[in-house]
Amino acid sequence: MRRLHGMKLLAAAGVVVVALGVAACGGNDDKEPSSGDSTSAKRTIKVGLAYDIGGRGDKSFNDAAAAGLDKVAKDLDVDKKELEAAPNETENDKYTRLKLLCQGGYNPIIAVGFAYAGNDPANGPLAKAAKDCPNSHFAIIDDSSVTADNVASLVFAEEQGSFLVGAAAALKSKTATVGFIGGCEVPLIKKFEAGYVAGAKAVNPDITVLVNYLSTPADKCSGFNDAAKGETSTGGLIDAGADVVYQAAGGSGTGVFKAVKAKGKLAIGVDSDQYNTVSDDLKEVIITSMLKRVDVAVYDFVTDEANGTFTNGVTTFDLKAEGVGYSTSGGKVDDIKSKLDEYQQKIIDGEITVPTEPATS
Amino acid sequence: MRLAGRIDLVGAGTRLLAPVVALLFAFGIFAAVLGVEGTNATDAFSQMFEYAALPDSQVDILNRATFYYLAAVAVAFGFRMGLFNIGVDGQYRLATLMAAALGSASFIGWLPGVLRIILMVIVAMVVGAAWAAIAGLLRATRGVSEVISTIMLNAVAGGLVAFLNTTDHWGTRPEGSNAVSTPLLPKDSWLPNLPLIGGTEAGVFAFSVVAVIVGVGYWFLLERTRFGFDLRATGYSPTVAAASGVDAKRMVVWTMVISGAIAGLVGLPQLFGESHAFTDSVGGIGFTGIAIALLGRSRPVGMALGALLWAFLDRSSLILDLADIPREIVVIMQGSTVLAVVVAYELAKRLSRRMQRRRVGGLVETSQKEQPA
Amino acid sequence: MSKSKPTDSSRDEDRAAEHGPPAVELRGITKRFPGVVANRDVSLAVRRGTIHAVVGENGAGKSTLMKILYGMQRPDGGSVLVDGTPVAFGSPQQAIAAGIGMVHQHFMLADNFTVGENITLGAERRHGIGARAATRIRELAARYGLDIEPDELTENLGVGDRQRVEILKVLYRGARILILDEPTTVLVPQEVDELFGNLRELTGEGLTIIFISHKLDEVLAVADEITVIRQGTTITTVTPAAVTARQLATLMVGSELPSPAAPESLVTDEPVLAVAGLTVRGPAGRPVVADVGFTIHRGEVLGIAGVEGNGQAELVEAILGLHPAEGTLTLAGRSLAGQSTRARREAGMGYIPADRHRHGLLLDAPLWENRMLGHQTERPNAARGLLLPGAARTDTQRILAAYDVRTPGIEVAAGALSGGNQQKLIVGRELSSAPKLLVAAHPTRGVDVGAQAAIWGQIRQARGNGMGVLLVSADLDELIGLSDTIKVIHRGRLVATTDPASTTPEHLGLAMTGALEEPS
Repeated sequence: MRRLHGMKLLAAAGVVVVALGVAACGGNDDKEPSSGDSTSAKRTIKVGLAYDIGGRGDKSFNDAAAAGLDKVAKDLDVDKKELEAAPNETENDKYTRLKLLCQGGYNPIIAVGFAYAGNDPANGPLAKAAKDCPNSHFAIIDDSSVTADNVASLVFAEEQGSFLVGAAAALKSKTATVGFIGGCEVPLIKKFEAGYVAGAKAVNPDITVLVNYLSTPADKCSGFNDAAKGETSTGGLIDAGADVVYQAAGGSGTGVFKAVKAKGKLAIGVDSDQYNTVSDDLKEVIITSMLKRVDVAVYDFVTDEANGTFTNGVTTFDLKAEGVGYSTSGGKVDDIKSKLDEYQQKIIDGEITVPTEPATS
Repeated sequence: MRLAGRIDLVGAGTRLLAPVVALLFAFGIFAAVLGVEGTNATDAFSQMFEYAALPDSQVDILNRATFYYLAAVAVAFGFRMGLFNIGVDGQYRLATLMAAALGSASFIGWLPGVLRIILMVIVAMVVGAAWAAIAGLLRATRGVSEVISTIMLNAVAGGLVAFLNTTDHWGTRPEGSNAVSTPLLPKDSWLPNLPLIGGTEAGVFAFSVVAVIVGVGYWFLLERTRFGFDLRATGYSPTVAAASGVDAKRMVVWTMVISGAIAGLVGLPQLFGESHAFTDSVGGIGFTGIAIALLGRSRPVGMALGALLWAFLDRSSLILDLADIPREIVVIMQGSTVLAVVVAYELAKRLSRRMQRRRVGGLVETSQKEQPA
Repeated sequence: MSKSKPTDSSRDEDRAAEHGPPAVELRGITKRFPGVVANRDVSLAVRRGTIHAVVGENGAGKSTLMKILYGMQRPDGGSVLVDGTPVAFGSPQQAIAAGIGMVHQHFMLADNFTVGENITLGAERRHGIGARAATRIRELAARYGLDIEPDELTENLGVGDRQRVEILKVLYRGARILILDEPTTVLVPQEVDELFGNLRELTGEGLTIIFISHKLDEVLAVADEITVIRQGTTITTVTPAAVTARQLATLMVGSELPSPAAPESLVTDEPVLAVAGLTVRGPAGRPVVADVGFTIHRGEVLGIAGVEGNGQAELVEAILGLHPAEGTLTLAGRSLAGQSTRARREAGMGYIPADRHRHGLLLDAPLWENRMLGHQTERPNAARGLLLPGAARTDTQRILAAYDVRTPGIEVAAGALSGGNQQKLIVGRELSSAPKLLVAAHPTRGVDVGAQAAIWGQIRQARGNGMGVLLVSADLDELIGLSDTIKVIHRGRLVATTDPASTTPEHLGLAMTGALEEPS
């Protein structure tokens, strides 16, 4: 009896340790040398990066920001400090992270991810840190809710880029059915969906767009990092008739590509030019990728800062600013490129307004 | 003489020694892992201490300890009668959401802030209790293991919360933001943070007072009431408790209800003192609560120390990144502390029993040992 | 292993010269447990082809000694010799390989297996599990006169048959030396005689038997030699012809053996407990207690006799409300049927459970908390839902003194006490609340002789003050000595009523087998 209780306690301890371990696995500690090269002629700038969960090495959003910084490091002498969020952390942790960077003399500081804005933008982590460090410049990616003299909001018109790949999907589809896999059912990913659907319908008003989300905030958006689930769900969409699938699912994307390859269909990548990032055997299925140039945003922001120009307020990286777009690597969309460019021009000219939320069905 | 008889010095000694030994062990692992990484452990630790000693950090540690402690007490309540409430996480997420949604709802906008706070606290406790009661009733009437059902209910609660905390229902999204949360509470139901520690603008959650009250209440209920005796007796041995007249089924339901009611409080310190709304980031503390309940052996003071230790490690880990020391080392240390403590307590228990036996002396042997298990 | 004492070995050598080396010899065995020496310098020699009894009180160290011989424990000192060769067993498997087998007190048989399957289970390598195994079992059974059919389903077997299966199990594994640990505890006298017949057959075939017991009549009846163990060490080895039961008892206890004195009847005609139509159903819906009815009066001890497993445990649990039951139950005029255990205890039921550890004590809790147990709703332990630890502590001190519970203090965990002291604490606790009815199941099981006498005295005294007692016991002497009336339970029914003044253990034993069923 007592021994059993002891065993139960030990088992519970084991569960705790496993839970903690899983949390720890979320982290990533790829250590990079803190400076690319050190040509003395370059000016030195101390940049602080506060990542969301996943950090450098997530092969997605955080990595894109890191790539932007790395690119800056080629042109300038960058002293960078990258900190990363932990699972289940409080808003105070995020605030503390930003403040630590500011106290460490890092300026500018880039908050990668909307979580740094908090649910109450006026008193969230970023707003508080910006208030505590009035002489530092901050930037936040994917959020435009925080307003302060020393905060720049870098946001993207994901719907515009998604519109173009939606059009591409419709043009390539033989079954008049295309699919969308979202990593997590949050407003940000719904923007991708909305643009994609609009683009597909612009080409073929009767097209069917099958939509599937892999997770919700309730399961901490695990769908951004669940390739197996991505594979299964994609298989389902294809079985239901989809022959082109667009994934906005971060790390689950490889699963999507695998399923598409297994069934001999086509896929569209996201964020970076995934034709260049996936393994060779999967290249053939990727016709294009929706580019979200977080790297461009970071690069531009840091370079401007180095040149002494800081613009507070919202900067939207849209088609016009080349903050979003579509990729052509692999040559699979060469035949329809003119049509896509036509749509692109219409969006830039304002002839087409792309919705940011999916129509409620 | 009398005092010596009442305080079991030997037992107390071994039991105090256990966590110290366990902590040293955990620190050993900490040092070893850092050594592999090529970092000096003492160095890392002194940085952590230095950082934790800052006023800001002290406040943050107390604030974290507040909700960690509440979660630990909720878990410990079940532990003391041999019930494993793994569902604190789901219970407090749902409870926090309901309380936050109600507190920000326009139809009770006329309520004075203080009353609204009280109402929200009650709602959170009732929701937590009700959610836990499901597992309790399933166990009592159908024999469903509370471990399984509470884990399942965590998932269900997660789904419910995700469903309700959307802009279609109770959620709102500030212009330009991607974060969905319930509307902000009216300012009159924000609890002021207490300026207990000088040298910083940050204050300690007013709800920490509630955590202290919960701790005292936990002790009193368990050690000084008949209900507590019944509960502990069931934890020692369900069959013995039943023979002494404890109705096991009723105890299961009541224990889960109380455990759930305390769990309902876990999200409130942050709700009233920091976020003022329910956000998606609410969740996860329930599992930390299990760890701290184990660390503190479900004793009120032990868990308070455990919560502070955990909070200290959490807070001081923030500085490690800045020093280019992988922060995961702290997670390793937390994990190994829990395992080491559980093992150490079990060993201490056996040791102290052995020493008691020796003191009882005579030919005590083994009426126990001789009987087949 | 250290050397044995020269005096013992010289004596043993004499014997060895007569009969060859002893089948088993223990020399100077010492075994310490934390704080306790369980065996100290134990020496004994068992001649081949004999029944050698090892007797001693509960806790004298018999079981530990046998565990050492069977490889379950390692001795701290001394040596074990089998057929003159020193051995050191690290596990029972090694002991079995050396031809030593153990028949445990509690049977380890799977009910839903056949006899043959139970015997071959775990020894499949010897003769497989098919026809070859069955043939071998029949061979063994025929050779040793053990009347067993391998295809029979085990659940259909009686207790005596099950014991024979256990013996066969050991023989099947090639044992030449059998250790029988308290084999008669679960048997009625008639079955005991059968067992002894079987044992003689076995020794007749050249096997050696070590027979552990504390029942002196049986030992005198069956053994060729008797070794007495007291307080962990061997006192002497005698032959049955040379001693009387009384002398043996004195050797065993070190003093005169107490017995429950014949009571003067104090029975009144005021009923305390009236039970009628009490039926308890087992898991399959089959009644395990069937239509039981009786009345206990103030000052009366009603004894329940029966072979273990005939519904006594369920009867006791049903009366306490621990087991759902049909029928009526009235305590001092108040109907308690359907009431909770707590309500029954508050109404005045005291309970001495058969299993202290499963039902009587919180082993990890201090003594004063154990004093509250079962009485946590009443003074001096609690008032208005709040505990009164101070008063409970004081009262615990009183119980320790009044009931001679030996402990350094009241903060000691109950598990640290010896069995006898644990039992005295339980008795003290239950009698302290002056119950109207005491349900006592095996109140002196596993306690030493001194504690046994004290407990009998206390129960008798409380009865004198008007308490009614329901006494369930496997110890027929205890039943006869304490009870005013004895009822016999068999297969869940009360089948006979006897007057302890005129009955004998043999007569009771016959009734317990169901042979004397009364028309109801």
